[in-house]
Amino acid sequence: MTVLADILTILLNGLQQGAIYVLLAVGLSIILGTLKFVNFAHGALYLIGAYLGLFITGQVPLSNGQFADWGIETYGIGLGFTAALILVPIIVFIIGILMERFVAQSFYDRPDTDQILVTFGLAVIVQELLRALLGGNSQPFPQPGWASGPIALPIIGNFPRWRLGVIAITAVLVMGVYALVEYTDFGLIVQAGTLDGEMVRLLGIRLSRPYLVVFGIGAALAGVAGVVGGPLANVNPNIGTEQLVPAFLTVVIGGVGKIEGAVVAGLMLGTLQVALIQTGYAAWSQVGIYALAAVVLLVRPQGLLGSEVDVA
Amino acid sequence: MSDEPRDATPTAAAEADPDVSDELGDRLSRFREREISTVLITVVGVLVFPFIFNNFLDGYTQLATLMLIWGIFAIGFDILLGYTGLLSFGHAVFWGGAAYAAGIFSASVSSQPLLVLLAGTAFAVLLAWVVGFLSLRRGGIYFAILTLTFGQMAFYLAASPLAFLTNGENGFTSVTIGPLLGVIDLHGGVPFPLSIAVDNMLYVFVAAVTVLSVAMANRILHSPYGTVFRAIRENERRAEFVGLHVWRYKLMAFVISAAFAGIAGSLFAIEGNYVPLESLYWTESGAIVIMTVLGGVGSLFGPLFGAGLYLYIENIVSGFETLGPFWHLILGIVFVVAVVVFPDGIWGGVEYLRDKVTGGDES
Repeated sequence: MTVLADILTILLNGLQQGAIYVLLAVGLSIILGTLKFVNFAHGALYLIGAYLGLFITGQVPLSNGQFADWGIETYGIGLGFTAALILVPIIVFIIGILMERFVAQSFYDRPDTDQILVTFGLAVIVQELLRALLGGNSQPFPQPGWASGPIALPIIGNFPRWRLGVIAITAVLVMGVYALVEYTDFGLIVQAGTLDGEMVRLLGIRLSRPYLVVFGIGAALAGVAGVVGGPLANVNPNIGTEQLVPAFLTVVIGGVGKIEGAVVAGLMLGTLQVALIQTGYAAWSQVGIYALAAVVLLVRPQGLLGSEVDVA
Repeated sequence: MSDEPRDATPTAAAEADPDVSDELGDRLSRFREREISTVLITVVGVLVFPFIFNNFLDGYTQLATLMLIWGIFAIGFDILLGYTGLLSFGHAVFWGGAAYAAGIFSASVSSQPLLVLLAGTAFAVLLAWVVGFLSLRRGGIYFAILTLTFGQMAFYLAASPLAFLTNGENGFTSVTIGPLLGVIDLHGGVPFPLSIAVDNMLYVFVAAVTVLSVAMANRILHSPYGTVFRAIRENERRAEFVGLHVWRYKLMAFVISAAFAGIAGSLFAIEGNYVPLESLYWTESGAIVIMTVLGGVGSLFGPLFGAGLYLYIENIVSGFETLGPFWHLILGIVFVVAVVVFPDGIWGGVEYLRDKVTGGDES
């Protein structure tokens, strides 16, 4: 009985831990798969999402950073968590579109290396701007009132309600994106463009707009991940880069451009990490996910669900 | 990508007409192309540098030492990024790994600085062989992500499972450095003729290693071996078609660049008498990328300037009243501008000016 409960707890926590990776990885993966654009600034979009979430949700006290020096004591508009959950994706979607137009587009024809360099630079700028203005200290991100506290589950017992919320929100969003790509005309154009962009253009279909939307959706997912993941830990300027690395691993383990691959890989990494922590090997939990990633990539370089032909 | 870095072009152009050598540009370029002159320029540079730095730029010798150490790291990184065209995001593993290896060696085997340096570098080379072998299975972004993966793995390994060796989050504190060759105290003063320029023996030691590193890098890059690296950067497939074993050259470029990172990392442990855990964190890999690109990829001296500029902004500009808090932001902005507008970095600008003055190499 208790063993079963332990296993279920590990699975559920793993699902929640993996959910954040999945949200980030799906966005990264569709951008990398369709636009062939390597976005090292994806973590920065997560970071923006988290801080925007804080800003919209409530009043955050400022203790250091430039704004505090200039005499501003709090920031935030206090519309509540639900508002943040709706507004942040829209704002980050727009940021993503601007990023595609003004940064990514001029780098499509340049080597991968340059794409990595410029997006890495952007990530540094976002992170350091936030640190300079709002201070480098961690801010607690309150859980939404309707989802705080524990909930009694069969077998497992009490489980934090918000963690279930994270899993549910992730599932809905990822299924939505999957449906959009698989079952709509828009998705069809994007898929065709991924396979042979030149041919699609010759058929008289403009690809620049669908690509713009893909970039926006990827960014918006990262933004949601920031809002959803914020209440699980504190928010500080480093969380973006900290999440970027596992997110990238999720993408390459799952196979570039594969939404279902990102889901499988994210859940694998999350479950492994949680399993190591809960069985007393917490020291190895981080090493474990990197080792798993290394092994998968060495045995199956195209990723678990990736096809042989890819961007490498 | 079509124009070669100027100082890498062979001597053919200058030797073609020996009689018309009156022109300043011709003489300059012929002087530049000799190996001994590269070494001489470096020697003069490292001797004059602390004097200028300390007196006119608000610097101090310890920072000058660090600049040279990071400079060595950047020179090595440029062999990989600038010359071979491979972007690694995990070079902190060689820098930090060598620093730990050097530190542990100094504490438990021998405190001889030269042996410590050798031990750290050897460790970095061995590690690079393994990491390179595994990471180079995939090209492009996969290489960047795989190196990043191994780098982070090393960081988390050092953080707790290997804490009995590395002392975990506190960093390795028991580095012990003895006198150089048994007689010269690295933290002591400098004998007379040198003391005009430099006030610290450690700086002299690091400067000597820097000169050696520049000479080595120069030799490698001007050899046929270095030419193959550039061929791979320009067109990997064509290099393969003419019969070169591309993969093996890539691995060697990786190992060579890690050797420089190892030299620098060991010096870092010797200099600070301490190895912080952060030396393995991926921000250090990011820092070396920024330094190299800022200085100018594909040039010998560019990365040295990049490292200097980075540390200058980090340590000196960060103390300024209004700009200070924004130092890292400034670095990020300068970096992005460099990537977008000046892909050749500072050194590219220097070369442009030089060519304006001397009329160019016409190559």
